[in-house]
Amino acid sequence: MGILELFQRKKTPRGEAARVELFDDEFQRKLEMLALVSRRVFTGRLRAERRSKKKGSGVEFADHRDYVPGDDIRSIDWNVYRRFGRLLVRLYEEEEDLSIYFLLDCSASMGFGGGQKFDQARRLVAALAYVGLANLDRVTIVGVNDGVPERLPTTRGKGRIFTAFRFLERLKPGGPTDLGEALRSFAAQHKRRGLAVLVSDFYDPAGFEHGINVLRFEGFEPYVIHLVDEREAAPPLDGDLLLVDCETGDEREVTVTPAVLKRLQTAFSDYRSTIEQFCTGKHVPYLAADVSTPFDEIVLRALRRGGFLK
Amino acid sequence: MMLTGLPLGTLLGIFGGAAALTLVLYILRLRRRPVAVPFAPLWHSVLGDRDASRLFSRLRRWLSLLLQLVLLALLAFALGDPRPTGSLGSGRNVVLLIDASASMQATDEKPTRLEAAKVKARELVAGLGGSDRALVVQMGDVPVPLSTLSDSPSELLQAIARVKASDTRAELGRALELGRDALRGSPHGEIVVFSDGALPEPSPAPELGGARLSFVPVGKSGKNLAITAFSVRRYPLDKSRLEVLAEIANTSSERAEVELSLWGDGAIIDSERLHVEPGARLSRFFSDVGGTRRGLEARLRYADGTRDDLPADDRAYALVPERRRARILVVTTGNTYLEAALLLDEYLDVTDVKPSAYPPAGHFDATIFDGVAPPPATDSGGLIYINPPSAGSPVKVGKAISEFGFDTWDRKSRVLRFAALGDVQVAAGHAFEPQSDDKVLGASDNGPILVAGTRSSRPFIALGFDPRQSDLVLRPAWPLLVLNAIDSFSETDASYLSAYRTGEVWRVPVQEGARDAELTLPDGTKRSVPVQDGRAVTFGERAGVYKLATGTDETRLVTEFAANLADPDESQILPHKTLSLAGKSAPLPEPGGGGVRRDLWALLVAVALALSLVEWFTYHRRITV
Repeated sequence: MGILELFQRKKTPRGEAARVELFDDEFQRKLEMLALVSRRVFTGRLRAERRSKKKGSGVEFADHRDYVPGDDIRSIDWNVYRRFGRLLVRLYEEEEDLSIYFLLDCSASMGFGGGQKFDQARRLVAALAYVGLANLDRVTIVGVNDGVPERLPTTRGKGRIFTAFRFLERLKPGGPTDLGEALRSFAAQHKRRGLAVLVSDFYDPAGFEHGINVLRFEGFEPYVIHLVDEREAAPPLDGDLLLVDCETGDEREVTVTPAVLKRLQTAFSDYRSTIEQFCTGKHVPYLAADVSTPFDEIVLRALRRGGFLK
Repeated sequence: MMLTGLPLGTLLGIFGGAAALTLVLYILRLRRRPVAVPFAPLWHSVLGDRDASRLFSRLRRWLSLLLQLVLLALLAFALGDPRPTGSLGSGRNVVLLIDASASMQATDEKPTRLEAAKVKARELVAGLGGSDRALVVQMGDVPVPLSTLSDSPSELLQAIARVKASDTRAELGRALELGRDALRGSPHGEIVVFSDGALPEPSPAPELGGARLSFVPVGKSGKNLAITAFSVRRYPLDKSRLEVLAEIANTSSERAEVELSLWGDGAIIDSERLHVEPGARLSRFFSDVGGTRRGLEARLRYADGTRDDLPADDRAYALVPERRRARILVVTTGNTYLEAALLLDEYLDVTDVKPSAYPPAGHFDATIFDGVAPPPATDSGGLIYINPPSAGSPVKVGKAISEFGFDTWDRKSRVLRFAALGDVQVAAGHAFEPQSDDKVLGASDNGPILVAGTRSSRPFIALGFDPRQSDLVLRPAWPLLVLNAIDSFSETDASYLSAYRTGEVWRVPVQEGARDAELTLPDGTKRSVPVQDGRAVTFGERAGVYKLATGTDETRLVTEFAANLADPDESQILPHKTLSLAGKSAPLPEPGGGGVRRDLWALLVAVALALSLVEWFTYHRRITV
């Protein structure tokens, strides 16, 4: 390595270095593997890459309905008429590319503890976005906190994944969390409904359910990925402390004892259970993503669980 | 309950100050370390439970403060050294008189009687009740208290360990008086004597002021040989030769064959075997001892080589007074008898001058004026006047007398030592009329004829007749008189030292102008002693050879002197099983009251320490915070 090369290396932009760190070659190889796996899982069931709930003129049979005047007679199912003597029209699922929205929580709490939560969230979004792009879906990535500070315009095609990478690298955690307000803004900006993957730690002082309910009520299909850092349940604290909320700056004097830490752990577990029970009760897919778990394992779990790929 | 340490007011002040400081520290808000958390509402949900018990939390914080205050109160109370009131009044007050006389060095008890007495004293201290107090006194020639009247066993045991035997006798009377004074005003007083009983009974017996006298005997046997006297002198007419007197005693109950040896300057000079009857004393002279420069030592032991029970009195020391050449000036027209007398002492440098040639140049230790009395020169030393004329005589010459002799003379005078003057005949002379402070050494019925005195700080001796007018010059008394007179002037010389006896205050002459002196004891230890009236004053406790140094480096003069036990009573080491005082026999001491010593301060400190540990534990377990 020459001296000139040394200087050239020093001139490498920080963003590039960060990109290499966050979405390195190993990461991209895993994305390819995940894309293959997603195809193998759904082989034979998915002809058109994605199906919408709308029934129309696709090639995949969906259902029958009674014939009414004006219907295209080519769609009458004559076999049924011969067997049952009824005129029924064959319905096909309309082939339509699906819109997938990745709503990434960019509040300050996501960057707490060295930003591992935020990094894990960005890797998950990048991986799932790659799967979506590989299946020719329309992918949109939106950063949210108490508003919508960052947004990657809708894109499609596998080749656009690097645009997504660069966008994700640019995102910085900061600001307070208000998912309800942020997602109302998001819904107002995006008229095309679709799958809304909400990736957050759900540390929302206003209540985690507001954001999910906004998605539900606005006609999106919410998919919840809950970022969990178990270390936050058992922080290495002891003695007389002044606790400061990293988002709101609220202060609270406390004397941390083993009993307090134990209660905190219970409260943390209860909070997580509450979110999961809420999602289950509302038929919203829920996936807990621990920062200590490799992202590809979480993505595989999401693919196997279903709900993300229709 | 009584406070024997700091007074109550001081304790309250200390507690108040410390409590105020503690209170301030508790009131001051704790500076807490800020820590960021990702989601404070989670903590709120946790701490909300604690809010519900905030009152209890505050109470626990106050409990912690209360614990600290109690801890402070205990420590402050401990500083007061509280004692139960009963312990000060109802307990015994005991004075332990431990005999430290020479006889306590006897080895019939192993290792010594004194150590056996110490063991018994320690046993008594161990048996003292919690409310008893005791005082340890070393009973020698002078009683020395070694502790306070204390209830602390450690202090008493340390005092007992400090008791040392000396080569003196024990003065029971003084020790009892000290014990009585120490117990004055204290109830249940008791004086316990630890001794072999070889104590002179005080007369009159001291009043003990109601204190009970007890006796703890030590000692098993009394097998002892002793040198009870040891002295040396030069022959008056041949001062290069010595005569040594040794007196030995057999204080045991059996006839003893002993070996008495005389050592000079570390080498044996003479040795002799003697038989001594039980309880008898035997004197032995070693005559015509020569060749010894300074030190003499007598050693005594059984002829079979065995040792007695008290080695301290088996040796005695003596130092021969150092002789130096004296310069004598004789102012005479010629006196054969005087010259002959002066020739007997080889250590005299005699200078003869005619009266007309007086004073010659030089310094003299003594000047003899034979029939003349010129004004004495400054460096004439002591003055001896023989038949002085009226003019110039230091003592007034009175009437002429004839055919007289020494009808009375001072037999104890150093000038007339060994001199037999009873039948001296004098043909003619003069009687003196001495001044009131003059000393008449010899007198006839007609008046004083030999007078000593001092004029202008200069000593003189005057003889009231011409010896050639008497038969005195034909008698041994004549040279003795002349040489003793010369010696009496040199007696005050700082280099002259005699042997001393232990148990007495020694006044050792030192060189003129010395203000203090350094005394080196026989065991090598050194101590400074004061000088009063030209003599170093110290109390003698040990037998042996001492060195006394005076002056600075340039004028430093080191002299030696010897000291001996030489106490027949103290050599009587046969132990006594009883001690009688005023006809009453002292019983054994009463056993101790027992019980646990109530050193409450130690208990209070222990409780405070325990509370501190509890506080520490509860704090770190977050129980009281």
